[in-house]
Formats: sequence, structure tokens, C-alpha cells
Amino acid sequence: MSKFIDKYFYIFSVGPTVLTMFIVFGIPLGFSFYLSLHGWTPTPSLGGGPFVGLQNYIFLLEDSKFIQSTIFTIVYTVVVVSIELLVGLSIALLLNQEVPLIRMARSVLAIPMMVTPIVAALCWKLLLDPQYGFINYLIGQKLGWTGDPFLAPITVAIVNVWQNAPYVGILLLAGLRSLPSDPKEAAAIDGASAWQTFWNITLPGLRPMILVALLLRTIFEFRTFENVYVLTGGGPAGATNVLSIYTYGITFGQLDFTYGAASSWMMLVTVAILCSIPILLFRAMDRGRA
Amino acid sequence: MSSPFLGSRKSRRKALKLFFTYVALATLVIVLLFPVLWILSISLKTRLQVISTPPLLIWTPTLDNYREVLSKGAFIPGLWNSLLVAGGSVLLSLGIGVPAAYSMARLRYAGKETIYYILLLMRMLPPIAVLIPMYMLFDALGIRNTRASVALAYTTFSLPVVVWVMRSVFQELPKEIEESATVDGASRWTTFVQIVLPLTRPGMVAVAILCLLVAWNDFLFASVLTSTATQTLPVLVASYSAFELGVEWGPLAAAGMLVITPVILVSILAQKHLVVGLSAGATKG
Repeated sequence: MSKFIDKYFYIFSVGPTVLTMFIVFGIPLGFSFYLSLHGWTPTPSLGGGPFVGLQNYIFLLEDSKFIQSTIFTIVYTVVVVSIELLVGLSIALLLNQEVPLIRMARSVLAIPMMVTPIVAALCWKLLLDPQYGFINYLIGQKLGWTGDPFLAPITVAIVNVWQNAPYVGILLLAGLRSLPSDPKEAAAIDGASAWQTFWNITLPGLRPMILVALLLRTIFEFRTFENVYVLTGGGPAGATNVLSIYTYGITFGQLDFTYGAASSWMMLVTVAILCSIPILLFRAMDRGRA
Repeated sequence: MSSPFLGSRKSRRKALKLFFTYVALATLVIVLLFPVLWILSISLKTRLQVISTPPLLIWTPTLDNYREVLSKGAFIPGLWNSLLVAGGSVLLSLGIGVPAAYSMARLRYAGKETIYYILLLMRMLPPIAVLIPMYMLFDALGIRNTRASVALAYTTFSLPVVVWVMRSVFQELPKEIEESATVDGASRWTTFVQIVLPLTRPGMVAVAILCLLVAWNDFLFASVLTSTATQTLPVLVASYSAFELGVEWGPLAAAGMLVITPVILVSILAQKHLVVGLSAGATKG
């Protein structure tokens, strides 16, 4: 018996994962593509409406709300991820020093990413309340952080930067600590300035971790949902209508499941394109170096 | 004679650098903690204290808000749902995913790398793409609105993470330990369960926390796949907070604190392991 298990150990070990992922994730994913090719019916059923080919996709591309939402989501993702990387890198460099009490600061770093996103958004909603919020009290203004079409996107971004820049910091700090110290010491002996050492030695050494952080954050910022849902609901006047909120709205608000499925597949293609840009860029840089 | 502080320009610059380092560290810690401490303070204030301007910094804390939330009826069932869903999904994810990660680290078989990359790809997809069909399929199967359906959904988000992190943890173990056990006649399964697993406990703790975070913190899937009877805590809190707040901040803040305290406690207790787990997959590719 144990010989039998040994012989087919790979099937017993990997089989359950493959089966679960196929049944619970793969089939729904395929089904959503099937749905996206079908028309609307008043009673949503498994079969969907009549087959309409790519019509849902064509409608989406002609839907100005969808286009605006896509552009906003891309801009939001690029801006927020850039800020998260810069802040995360600064945090990592700051915490990579060996000074007393630094451990305490490092241990606080994991807290924001633990906070339930709905509750994080709630924290900031209270902090930024126009009337009784602490931030408006601090700056002595009565800014409508979530009600103003210019401020609302910033507000939504603040929550996610607060939650996720420390996570980037954790990744890059681990990266910094895994770098060998000899090249740095050699550079110091050769009289390189701190900036030169950072730019020519530390940063290139961190590149693999930077790429991972960049990709992970792009993927997760692109699907951002909770902060917008709690803070603005996509408003005011669509100013923060990210694709997740848009898709959620047409699917579970207007109950148009097939159009929503098409929208979610457009999201999938867009994020794939968005992620391939840094990968190709990093590869080109590698070739430039070699 | 030069004292350590007034002495050479070099040591003065060093002291200045240290000063700025601590200013930066203090700012960082305040920014990281302030939002959480802020709602903690609100949760301990009465309705009048919440809206006082300037904000009260010293007051006699009250537990009334917590009493109100816990007696409201919906919170305790919500907590129970969250615990069941999160616990079930963590156990399932580890039980299914850890053996898979081990075999991907140690065995050679056809399609191994393909499976690995497809798993990672699945984690990358926008979850709303599977939410719509899951809603319809679960509905057709009659399991929508059950805790099991959400737990299953979370398991599919966690499995790629388990495989990703645990594979690199297993790869770091020296092979010799297992080889000597196999020479002694132990079967692969016995070796795995009795020798390999105990050695990788820190990695497993880290991965368990990551799975817990997925299940405990999710709102989107729980909001669609559960009913009032099976809703988890984030759905409950969102139902209080997505609309105009009025001045009922106290109970809301107390509910929020009750939701995040367990995960924050767990993360502080397992701090060391967690950082290892967060970076293991990322630094090893």
C-alpha cells in the first residue's frame, strides 16, 4: 500500500490542488467567458441569453462610461503604484540602518496591511470627515475629501498607499538585507559617494524585488474596490469609478450578468497588458546591461 | 581635546544623521499607527465626545460602544461566520496546497512547471471575473448563501499563495535529511509528514496567516455570496459604513476595532515568521 502511494505520490500531492482550482476557479472563469458572448435575458439563467458573439465587447468600447472608467483605473494604478514603490523604497532604506529601537519600527510595518480594507477605508473616512475629521481640524479647513471631484481620487489613493507602501517596504527591506555587503564596502574604499553606491550598486541589486513588488502592486491596485466602495461609491459624478466598481454596478446593480462578464474580461486583458510593460522594460534593460 | 559631540566634523555629521533618522522613524511610526489609534480612540468615546472640536485628547474611556455592538444581535453571528469561513479556508488551503508545494519542490513529473505558472496566473486575474459566474453556478447548485461556498472561493485565492511560498520554503531544506530517512526505509508520505513538515513550521505559520488575511479581510465575495444569515464581519461593517454616517461613529469604530484586532494580534505574535513568508516567494522568484 505504501509503495503504491509512493509510486503515485505526485498525483496524490498535486491532484487535489489541480482539481480544486479547476472546478472552483477554472470552470467559473471559462463560464464567464461563455457568458460574455451572450445577450441579456430578463431572467438570468445558466444558459444566458442568445449567442451574440462579440457584441457585448463592441458595446463596451462604445460605452463612454466604460472608457472613462478604464482610463481612470489605468492612471490611478500607475500613479498609486509609483508612489507605493517610492515610499516603500524610502521606508526600506530607512529601516535598513542598525540603530537602537529600529526593531520596534520594523515590527510596526506589518500592521497597515493586516487591517481589513473595509475597516481601513472606514478609519480614513472618519479621519477625513469634512465636519468632525481630524485632518480637517489639523489643517484648519473644511475640505470635502470625498465629495469633491478633484479630491476624491486623492482620498481613495491615500488609503491604499497607507495600507500597501509598508508592504512594499517589507519586500524591499528583505531584499536589501539579502544583498551581499562586499561590493558596497569596495565602493566605499574606492571613495564612491553614498548616492553613487546607492545608484550603481544597491538599486541594481534590488531590481528583482522591485519588479516583483511592481507587478504585485499593479495587479492589486488595478482591482481596487473596498476603498472606493466605502469612501465614494465611485462618485462624485463618476470621478472615482474604477473598473471593479463599474463592473460590480452593472452586474449586481443592473443585474446585467453577460455585460458584466464582458467587462470583467476586458479588465483581465487590460491588466495583462499593463503588467507586460514593466516586464518587457526590465528585460530590455537587462539586455542593455549585458 | 575633542569631546564626542563637539569634536570633528565627521562625528558632528554622524550625530546630525542620527537625529534625522529618528525624526524620520518617529514620523513613519506615527503615520503607520495613527489611523488605527484614531478609530480606537473614537470607539472609546461617547457621542458628544466624538463631535467635540477641538478633538478631545484626554477623556475617560467608555466601553458603551463595544457593549452596544456586541448586544446588537448581528455581530456575534457575523463573528461566528467569519471564524468558520476563515478557519475552514485556512485548513483547506494548507491541507490541499502544502503537499502540492512539496511535490513541486522535490519531485520531477511532466507538467509540473506548467501547473505552477497557471496557478500563479490564476492569482493574478481580477477576482470579479470569477465572482459573476461563481454567483450563478453556486446559485444553480443551491449552495449560494452558504459559508462553505465563500470558504471554497477563498481557498482558490489562497492555494496559489500556499504553493508559491511553500515551494520555496521546501526548496531551501537540505535534501540529505529526507534522503537518509528514505534509506532507512521510510515511505515518501511518512518522510513528508514526520520529518519535513515539522522542519517547515515557521513557513507554514506565515502561509497560514496569509490565508487567514485573504479570508478574514475579503469583502467583495462575501458581500455577493452570503446572505444576512451567513454574512461575515467585513460585510456587516460595510453595511454600517457605506452610507452617510450621521454621528453614530462610536459603535461603528468599535465594530471596526473588533474586526481588525484578531488579525493584528496574530500578526504581532507571529511577526518574525510573517516577514519570512512575505518575502520568501518574492525573493526566490
